Amino acid sequence: MVQMTINGKVVKATEGEMLLAVIRRQGIDVPALCDHAAVEPCGSCRMCLVEITREDWNGWKKYVTSCLYPSEDGLIVTTHTPELQEIRRNILDLYMARCPGSELIQKMGEEYGLTRTSFKTIPEGDNCIMCYACTRICEVLGRSAISAVRRGHAKVISGPFGDPPPDCIGCLSCAHICPTDVIEWHDQDGVRGIWGRTFDLIACQQCGKTIITRDFAEYLKEKRQIPADYFDICDDCKRVELARKMGGLVDQAKEVAS
Amino acid sequence: MMFRYTVNPALCTGCRTCELACAFTHTQEQKPGRSRIYPIAYGPDRFVPVTCLQCDDAACVKSCLFDALKRNETTGAIELDKDRCVNCRACVAACPFGCALIDDVHDEVVKCDLCGGSPACARFCPTKALVYKRIA
Ligand code: SF4
Ligand code: SF4
Ligand code: FES
Repeated sequence: MVQMTINGKVVKATEGEMLLAVIRRQGIDVPALCDHAAVEPCGSCRMCLVEITREDWNGWKKYVTSCLYPSEDGLIVTTHTPELQEIRRNILDLYMARCPGSELIQKMGEEYGLTRTSFKTIPEGDNCIMCYACTRICEVLGRSAISAVRRGHAKVISGPFGDPPPDCIGCLSCAHICPTDVIEWHDQDGVRGIWGRTFDLIACQQCGKTIITRDFAEYLKEKRQIPADYFDICDDCKRVELARKMGGLVDQAKEVAS
Repeated sequence: MMFRYTVNPALCTGCRTCELACAFTHTQEQKPGRSRIYPIAYGPDRFVPVTCLQCDDAACVKSCLFDALKRNETTGAIELDKDRCVNCRACVAACPFGCALIDDVHDEVVKCDLCGGSPACARFCPTKALVYKRIA
């Protein structure tokens, strides 16, 4: 256990636990775009910056990304100062120019008093803030199908060499974790499209409802030993099936009893 | 495990009180959430309240590649950690009983958490078809 001060309040935390988690536990709202519990933090969006100092720093202070800064004894943390708000506003100003199509970014900007960006909006604005949440989650699930390709301005997230990713299984984890919601996908007529590829969705053998792709099911079978027939029917039909089976047993027991 | 949740379909009258209690207990934005329990008719006037059985070797837990589903050792429930869930729906597809559910209104995955140790369904069931009790 370590003891720190957050916004003037003495707080205990586990050594090494990232500051952002500790701050949030105090009910303090610090904006964060690239942080997600299922992936390692990477400190790319810079929204979660906080000010830290220590008694023995003689007034010296610095800004750190709280999602990536481990708790340590004696830290004095401040989450909201005019300087920090200014930094966050400037970052959002840039994000607003880059992400004209992201509702979240535009809304966050407004919360910081920006009605529109003071920079020139990227006309073909790609809405991606390069936070790598998608590549990180794909790595966690064991596929690493996508990554950043090209350098500088041309950098984009995609499959290898800018082609559709051969290792993708169409699970949508990347699309759902993306804070700006820019990864396009669709489910249509039993087929899922994402990253320029198409995947067959498993249709329930009884009602036709679809939940996941065949490739995702294959992967779960192999990696987590989920029996293949578990994917044959959908959750709705499974519940009805269970009622029928359990009901049958109840009726049998009643007959035996009477 | 210290608690056991039992379903006795022979006592179920299909009144759907459990479903209502569940939906209202798991509320968001003052709107009832999706129920995690469904009394399903398997014959005339015969019902089985279908809900998560908190399996020992649970397919949902195994299927989650992000460790978002974990057993609460005190209540016995397999709980969904919303912060870790990415909505991939592996658990929904994998559960052999169809009890990892999609809440379409909130576009998220939900499952029974035994209400943190005091399941509303069992509390409100008028016939005691649903019972949650301490066993050790
Ligand atoms: S949909 Fe494809 S690229 Fe996205 S996380 Fe799943 S496997 Fe990776
Ligand atoms: S939907 Fe959520 S809980 Fe279910 S397997 Fe995917 S990440 Fe895990
Ligand atoms: S949340 Fe910390 S840098 Fe993005």
